[in-house]
Amino acid sequence: MDLSILFGWAFLVPLLPALAFVIIGIWGQRLGRLEHGGWIAVLLSGAAMVLGVLIAVGEMLSPNSYTDVSYTWFHVSASGPFANGVSFVVGTLVDPISALMLIVVTVVGFLVMLYSVGYMHHDEGLPRYYALLSLFLTAMLGVVLADNLLEFFLFWELVGVCSYFLIGFYWRKPSASSAAKEAFLVTRIGDVMFLLGIFIYFSVYAMTGPNGGWAANGFLFVHGSTSFIPIGASGNSTLLTVAGLMLLGGAAGKSAQFPLDVWLPDAMEGPTTVSALIHAATMVAAGVYLLVVGSIFLGGYTSIVLFAIVAVGGFTTFYAATMAVVNTDIKRVIAYSTISQLGYMVLAVGAGFALVGLYHLFTHAFFKALLFLAAGAIIHTIVTQDLFRMGGLAKKMRYTSIAFLIGALALSGIPPFAGFWSKDDVLASVYSQLGAHPEYWPFFILAFVTVFLTAYYIFRVYFLAFSGERTRDASLPEAHEVPWVMLVPMMVLAGFAVVAGLFVFVPSFGSLFTGVPGLATNVPPSYGPTDLVLSAISVTLAGAGIVLAWVLWGNGRVYELPAGSPAHSIRNLLLARYHVKAAYDWVGMVGMYTVARAADFFDRFVIDGAVKGFERSFRSMSDSMRRIQTGLVSDYAAYVVAGIIAVFVLLLFVAPYLASVFGGG
Amino acid sequence: MDFSTLPIIPITLGTLAVGTVLTFASGRWARWVALATSVVFLLEIGLMFLGYTGWPGRSSTLVPQFGEYQSYPWISLSWLQINFTVGIDGISLILILLTGFLQIATVVYTWNETKRPAAWFGLVLMTCLGSFGVFVSLDILLFFLFWEAVLVPMFFIIGYWGGPNRRYAALKFFVYTHVASIVMLIGLLALVFYSGASSFDFSSIYSAARGLTGIVPVVLFLSLFFGFGVKFPIVPFHTWLPDAHVEAPTGGSVLLAGLLLKLGGYGLIRWAVIILPTTLTQVDPILFFVAFLSIVWGAVLSLSQRDLKRMIAYSSINHMGIVLLAISLNSALGLTAAVLLMFAHGVVSALLFMGAGTFHHTYGTRDIPSVGGINSRTPILASLIMIGSLASLGLPALISFPAEFAALLATWDGLTYLVLIPLIGLVVTAAFYIWMMQRVLFGPPKGIPSDAHDVPPAEGLGMGMLAALAVIFGVLPFLLVNVITMSPITGWHG
Repeated sequence: MDLSILFGWAFLVPLLPALAFVIIGIWGQRLGRLEHGGWIAVLLSGAAMVLGVLIAVGEMLSPNSYTDVSYTWFHVSASGPFANGVSFVVGTLVDPISALMLIVVTVVGFLVMLYSVGYMHHDEGLPRYYALLSLFLTAMLGVVLADNLLEFFLFWELVGVCSYFLIGFYWRKPSASSAAKEAFLVTRIGDVMFLLGIFIYFSVYAMTGPNGGWAANGFLFVHGSTSFIPIGASGNSTLLTVAGLMLLGGAAGKSAQFPLDVWLPDAMEGPTTVSALIHAATMVAAGVYLLVVGSIFLGGYTSIVLFAIVAVGGFTTFYAATMAVVNTDIKRVIAYSTISQLGYMVLAVGAGFALVGLYHLFTHAFFKALLFLAAGAIIHTIVTQDLFRMGGLAKKMRYTSIAFLIGALALSGIPPFAGFWSKDDVLASVYSQLGAHPEYWPFFILAFVTVFLTAYYIFRVYFLAFSGERTRDASLPEAHEVPWVMLVPMMVLAGFAVVAGLFVFVPSFGSLFTGVPGLATNVPPSYGPTDLVLSAISVTLAGAGIVLAWVLWGNGRVYELPAGSPAHSIRNLLLARYHVKAAYDWVGMVGMYTVARAADFFDRFVIDGAVKGFERSFRSMSDSMRRIQTGLVSDYAAYVVAGIIAVFVLLLFVAPYLASVFGGG
Repeated sequence: MDFSTLPIIPITLGTLAVGTVLTFASGRWARWVALATSVVFLLEIGLMFLGYTGWPGRSSTLVPQFGEYQSYPWISLSWLQINFTVGIDGISLILILLTGFLQIATVVYTWNETKRPAAWFGLVLMTCLGSFGVFVSLDILLFFLFWEAVLVPMFFIIGYWGGPNRRYAALKFFVYTHVASIVMLIGLLALVFYSGASSFDFSSIYSAARGLTGIVPVVLFLSLFFGFGVKFPIVPFHTWLPDAHVEAPTGGSVLLAGLLLKLGGYGLIRWAVIILPTTLTQVDPILFFVAFLSIVWGAVLSLSQRDLKRMIAYSSINHMGIVLLAISLNSALGLTAAVLLMFAHGVVSALLFMGAGTFHHTYGTRDIPSVGGINSRTPILASLIMIGSLASLGLPALISFPAEFAALLATWDGLTYLVLIPLIGLVVTAAFYIWMMQRVLFGPPKGIPSDAHDVPPAEGLGMGMLAALAVIFGVLPFLLVNVITMSPITGWHG
């Protein structure tokens, strides 16, 4: 069967959850029996998953095909450099990378939706939850399938606002509404940079390309079966360097890269299911996906931009991992690990291996969703997120503990779990560039050290929560295994976390990663001698991390830093998140607001004060004029007529005189 | 039936005028007469769309740029011809559509007005009549009459139905806009006499003004810019706006922000930019500077406001600054974006002011810090304020997004890195709306009176209409853009 006939129907994939959004949004309150629309959301996201996966399989079976379907959204007629007018289009593009993302988003989305039916059962506001979660999926699928930059940005913003509402789902809690605000505003800074980047790309390429240039074609990514802007077109143009940096800024906002990372740990205020979706398949994935799209469809990046991407990614990888090491909140540790892992993806894109970054995004989505759902299962039963109150859960929650263990092994990069293949591929990719770019060395080392930190912090969580005899806090509710609607998604994700890394060795699947001509790739991993050495070192590091975690935290142990140790100050710095958040709060809330208050003072007392002073002087003048205020309508009429005559005299006699002086009309 | 033969504009002016008079005279039935007039007005706008000869394949014989065009001799002097000339192109058609929508939304929203309802609805209709007249007039005298005719009802709306300090606010509004009007009138008359146009008609001025050279068109342009700019309003001539909004009743704020500010933008496009395009390119640094100043000042001042209405008022200054910027760019993309943005701002600011009004009489205050968590008591009101705020900060799928996107693209196109100023403005705009939402809508309930009820039906319907428009045109912006670009905007420059 030829699945490529489905490519033209790709628009249905985002439309199905959008339908769920509308149905639940309107009738959700009356759907009590269907879990307030939960089952409708499951059904429609399931349908979207079937269609999405079929389309992805179709793309694998007809490798390197680009199928674009687009419609004009609006068109502005010709002006300035836009010789044939500016078209703004919406459409769908099915290509290797969107096919891969379709799998990630629809599968994880569906599983999270299913899990929610169990997890959210007792919550209030379920219609709102399922409607927003469906819209969230729609928005992310829109980003994935977008065939031009404007549409990409449009859905990108929708992703942002959906996450805003979902992070602030428990809006009565001040911390939740504050976290939602923070997420929106910090990513907004990135969005605005992205917007500037878009403008630059628009104007640089407006006239370039077939059929009257990019602008006239709606800024489409592809034309026929080739990229509208060929890979490598950016060369070393200064303008495109700025554009690339702006794109990086946008991606850093969405993908929580330093220094726009502050919002993601606080975003844990939302339900755990939302965290799973944000961290695995939507929102943060959008940033990395943007960088990949830029590598393929926007002519690639200039060398300065590539270095900036490497620096941001490499630094963030390490920076976030250090904060994960000390945190005591199970969700926050996993959140920092997301930031850190996203750093690996960004690093790979910067090294010129965009598809390797995408490969890591693919495997990471499954094991990160798994970790969050397993953490959610714990929170669901014992109602705490504090690691130091947990313990001994492996006995009570056998399946959950296995699921979490698989996720932790995959995250640590232990073979043959999924994370091993993709993370080592990232390290190998960067390593291959060190000869040509010695300036990448520090970031390569940071990324390598992070392997150790990653294994340590995630197994610290695992041992604190699951090993030992009993919970440390006896007042917690009795732990029990969670219902099947929550277990099944975890089991499926655990399966993916084991094998997803190996998919690329299947030729048709692997073709998704080799389908872009002109772009460096080493997916599937080649495993030459160098790679084997790198892998050996990284697995050793990861193993050391696990052992250290066992020694310090295993079997119910709790490690206390010796009193007076200088490590205390480091620990406090890490717990204070390097004071970056405090700096944001200071600049945003104190700095900006003070400026605004000062401006308000100026506005009231200087600008408006001048007006009032003017008015007072007029009032004293008008006292002398009051004598002509007779109150008789006929007098006023006479004044009006006199005034009009005066205007005409002015215009007829004085004006021509002035005109002759100035040489006008 | 061929609607293009119908003199639809004079007919509409007539029905609006009759409706206004009847409303004034009909006592307690006034609101029904006002509603009927609004519905008829919308139907007539529909006919304008149907008969609009600017569509491809149709052409009007008199002035090709105008889809509907009627001209009747009015005042004939030996040396000057004044005609009753009306016409519409895509730009005015969009703003007329906005007038129709805001008229019916205001009538519905204020359905239960108890303080002299006949006078109230009559003045609302009169404001809309005046605005409609401004948008269709193609003769200077006619234009000026309608322009002034808008001020009078707004003066009474603020001065009679307004808040405690209403007299001061009404007077300030009147003096400001009246001084601006006089400068504008002198500018317009001077335009006629200097260019040597044979009549007060737009078309004759349009062709005659091409001959103007030297300092004269510059002075004329700047006087017109000042005249129309105060209505925008431009910083530093903006302080009438927050006062007027704070004191004005909700319906007054809706018309003030939704319609009256658009008169300035429309006037600038119609009578200055289109007529003196080459002069615009000489003086545009001034316009850009003023636009940037308004954008930044409006955004920063919004951030510091405690009064919900003042905050929205300052955000209007920010948005109209973007409109001014887009107009000043003097490109087809910029002009299209400016008109679209005026429509968007008309709908969104009207929605927000209605939300603020309902908020005020539900919670007894407009002070942002003293009320919180209203989502738990009045979820519908909270949702409507939320839609308005998100639309205003430029969220996609809502109406402002395509307009702001096009405006900023045009800004990059014309001014490159200066686009950073409005872009930073976007961050600040997001900040004050999101912050307001955090404080007022979310969090634990605070300052909520025990008798607070959710939106009354009439007010909910009025706001719902506008929210629906914000969504519909946000998803399908081509419905508007196609009409705007039907005007040979590029033709004006060619």
